[in-house]
Amino acid sequence: MKTQINSSEGQKDYMRKAKLHKIFISFSRVLVFVGFLALWQTASSLKWIDSFYFSSPYAIAKLFVHDIHDMSLLSHIGVTLIESGISFLLIIIFAVIAASFFWFYPSLGKMFEPFLIVLNSLPKSALAPLIIVWLGTGPRTVILCGMSVGIFGCILNLYQAFEQTDAERLKLIETLGGNKLQKYTKVVFPQNIPTFISLAKVNIGLALVGVIIGEFLAGRQGLGYLIIYGSQVFKLDMVILSIVILCVIAMLLYGILNLLNRKVIARWQ
Amino acid sequence: MKDSRPFLRLKHVTFSYYSVTGETQALEDINFSVQKGSFVVLVGPSGCGKSTILSLISGLIKPVSGDITFYSEDFAAPRIGYMLQHDHLLEWRSVYRNIMLGLEINKIKTAENLAFIDELLEKYHLSNVKDLKPSALSGGMRQRIALIRTLALRPDLLLLDEPFSALDYQTRLSVSKDVYDIIKSEGKTAILVTHDISEAVAMADTVIMLTKPPCSVKGIIPIEFEKYGITRDEVRNSKLFQQYFDEIWGEMKNENTN
Repeated sequence: MKTQINSSEGQKDYMRKAKLHKIFISFSRVLVFVGFLALWQTASSLKWIDSFYFSSPYAIAKLFVHDIHDMSLLSHIGVTLIESGISFLLIIIFAVIAASFFWFYPSLGKMFEPFLIVLNSLPKSALAPLIIVWLGTGPRTVILCGMSVGIFGCILNLYQAFEQTDAERLKLIETLGGNKLQKYTKVVFPQNIPTFISLAKVNIGLALVGVIIGEFLAGRQGLGYLIIYGSQVFKLDMVILSIVILCVIAMLLYGILNLLNRKVIARWQ
Repeated sequence: MKDSRPFLRLKHVTFSYYSVTGETQALEDINFSVQKGSFVVLVGPSGCGKSTILSLISGLIKPVSGDITFYSEDFAAPRIGYMLQHDHLLEWRSVYRNIMLGLEINKIKTAENLAFIDELLEKYHLSNVKDLKPSALSGGMRQRIALIRTLALRPDLLLLDEPFSALDYQTRLSVSKDVYDIIKSEGKTAILVTHDISEAVAMADTVIMLTKPPCSVKGIIPIEFEKYGITRDEVRNSKLFQQYFDEIWGEMKNENTN
């Protein structure tokens, strides 16, 4: 059995240095962010830049407080979040079903693989006008746009991960008397859960990108709609505020999945 | 006393692998039998087809021609346990849940079988690690757990496919001895595949020497330390060990020089 010693002076010193380094990195990140905001505000206040085009942190904060009070911003954020969440869940559900199906029936997997590669390489915004013609404007089109960005890559990656499952482990299940379904439930799926979480981390971002594209083109609500509307009426405070909120949403979603990833990896090792 | 009834017989067994580049004949007219309760070791050069023989016996693949026959009093199909080169413990399961894998697959998680697992863990001093993850165990301990996982299904025949080859030399000596003791104390019939002649002599009741591909049986040597009053703990230091080693090496060296 492997043992770990946590009480020696050398170990304590190492842990202290590691902790200090972590604090230094976190502090530096905050400093870079605050420095950027300060420089932006100063440049705007001292007219180094035109605040009509570039806005300023203060103007954005003021708009944020105002729009939060009249609830309009929250409803747009909510719409984008719901559309992204639905797109993300549908990507994951379809990817798991399709990749599993291809693993059970490898000939089908080989048959569909080149088509998936082509669809994955296609710039997805090219599909958006078609989707609008088929489904009209509104949430259904936005959700489909959100799905289109990530789904083909997600299916391909998950299928390839399933295919690369250690053949000797599959042989082990066979030697224990297991069938193909048991190979899948006991080895293939559980072994690929870390891959699945990594794909989820990528696809939550891609779903958000797709939803914003969808809202640009076919939305009546949402942050993508606000960005397009703001740019058309030259309300650049609104555009930049929407972009900042998108950054925060992307960061939070990534953070949640990262936390989930760490918990899963810790359980898996 | 060893039971002298034949337990398994391979008669004129041949096997080929097929690929787009052509046919590769792996086995050519394999003939041997295994007595109940005996420990048979197959030795041969790397890649000669030793593992293919185990896959055929276990039923994972079918021979191109020839017969593989099991003889039992009740005509029931024998339960076969297979231990692979690597332990393949699933890292997301605890040691205990890894051992239960076979029971889960065969849907036989009965109180009796669970008690049998607990008994095996207790008997071989592994109870204290059952809640750990495999990553917390040493290579030798992982192989012992893999053996318990195989024994949990109460196999009539154990197939051991170079299970010690991934271990360092010292661990290999100690684990191979433990595995031998466990198999003997459980009264199992076992077939071990190895290319290590000293391991073969130390563990076998019978050594079957195989040729380079296409593989056939080059010779069969009974290992009879007990007849000369040498216990298994003493075999590696005995003159007889060296004699058996030299005899097998004499036969096998031409097979390895290619």
